[in-house]
Amino acid sequence: MIQINQLQKSFNDKKVLNGIDLEVAPGTVLGLLGKNGSGKSTLIKCALGLLRSTGGTATILGDDAWHLSAATKARLGYVPQEVVSYPWMRVRQVIAYTAAFYPTWNHALVDQLCRQWQLPLEDRVGPLSVGQLQTLGIVLALGHEPDLLILDEPVASLDPSARRHFLQTLIEIIDQPNRTVLFSTHITSDLERVATQLAILREGQISFHGELDELKERVKRLHINSRQELPQSFAVPGALHCEVEGAAATVSVANFNEQLVDQMRTTWNADIAVHDLSLEDIFIELHE
Amino acid sequence: MQFQCDTTSRKPIYRQLIDQVRRGIARGQLQPGDRLPSVRQLSRDLVVNPNTVARAYTELEREGTLLTQQGRGVFVAEPGNDLTKKARRKQLSEKLDLLFVEAVHLGFSAGELLTMVQDRIGQFAFVTEEKDAP
Repeated sequence: MIQINQLQKSFNDKKVLNGIDLEVAPGTVLGLLGKNGSGKSTLIKCALGLLRSTGGTATILGDDAWHLSAATKARLGYVPQEVVSYPWMRVRQVIAYTAAFYPTWNHALVDQLCRQWQLPLEDRVGPLSVGQLQTLGIVLALGHEPDLLILDEPVASLDPSARRHFLQTLIEIIDQPNRTVLFSTHITSDLERVATQLAILREGQISFHGELDELKERVKRLHINSRQELPQSFAVPGALHCEVEGAAATVSVANFNEQLVDQMRTTWNADIAVHDLSLEDIFIELHE
Repeated sequence: MQFQCDTTSRKPIYRQLIDQVRRGIARGQLQPGDRLPSVRQLSRDLVVNPNTVARAYTELEREGTLLTQQGRGVFVAEPGNDLTKKARRKQLSEKLDLLFVEAVHLGFSAGELLTMVQDRIGQFAFVTEEKDAP
């Protein structure tokens, strides 16, 4: 669905994306995670041809991102971080206007979503709140039932109840085969619920891409209690963090495996307890 | 039985679901032959990806806890065990040792621990005594 190779994007002399490789297969729900300013929106815009990349390639549904055909666009749904619409139109009119562009538009679905999210159909778009605008953006992106849905921080401005409605809708969407979703977020609990895969964007590159559970199995925190004082030379291969205090140490690792622990037990003559981390903890461990 | 999922937990959601089914059976809230919600139903109720629910069910099926009957649904399987009593005893001893370690560190005496075990044992659905097979 999406194929990105060595993608680069610089703004003047500031490199934002520095060789991104990312492949999204049909049926995947990929969560794109990264700190503020890590380039999530830039990556999405380059993949959609809304920004011109400065190197590498991005292909989406078989088309080059910068030259998307109308047929490909009809299979795409996109919700930008800040939804821009026509302030002088009523909500009902914006929906009708958008629907007219698509040969297939699911009116029943859109009506249902509007009711669910209590969108004020007769109000003008201008005075809508940021959250209502975002909800409208989501409805507009879903109306033609796209094969590929790309959402840039879709829930950032939604209240908890609207967020839950959104996730419910997303679950219903991905229940149909080969629906592909890419969404950026920094709300790790949403990601945990709906994503099958996770990509972490860091310093202009993808620092991890894989199954969510795989990440949880790889990143662990080890509590080490040695029978003697740990030496100055104490180190753990692949450690993200290491704190040593006398005979005890706390180490977080990004490449956990049982052999590593067995080896450490003998090397340092220590008891080692392995602790799982929440996705949020993992995110912080990987970024500090 | 009411399923739950905690997205702030360190435990992956599929693991949480597996643990809940196993706990439900151990406490007698789920009986052999009971039907579980379908993958689609549970995924919508809990607002989690259907793949996550499917993964939990598949794992429980592999260990013989659940049984899928094509077209009819997912059911709690009759208890059965491929392992010899000796192997099972070894597994349980290892778990018991973990409990003892915790009890020692929390400052309980052996007597207090035994009393607690006696108090709580009634809450679980144990099998009736079986002859010690090899």
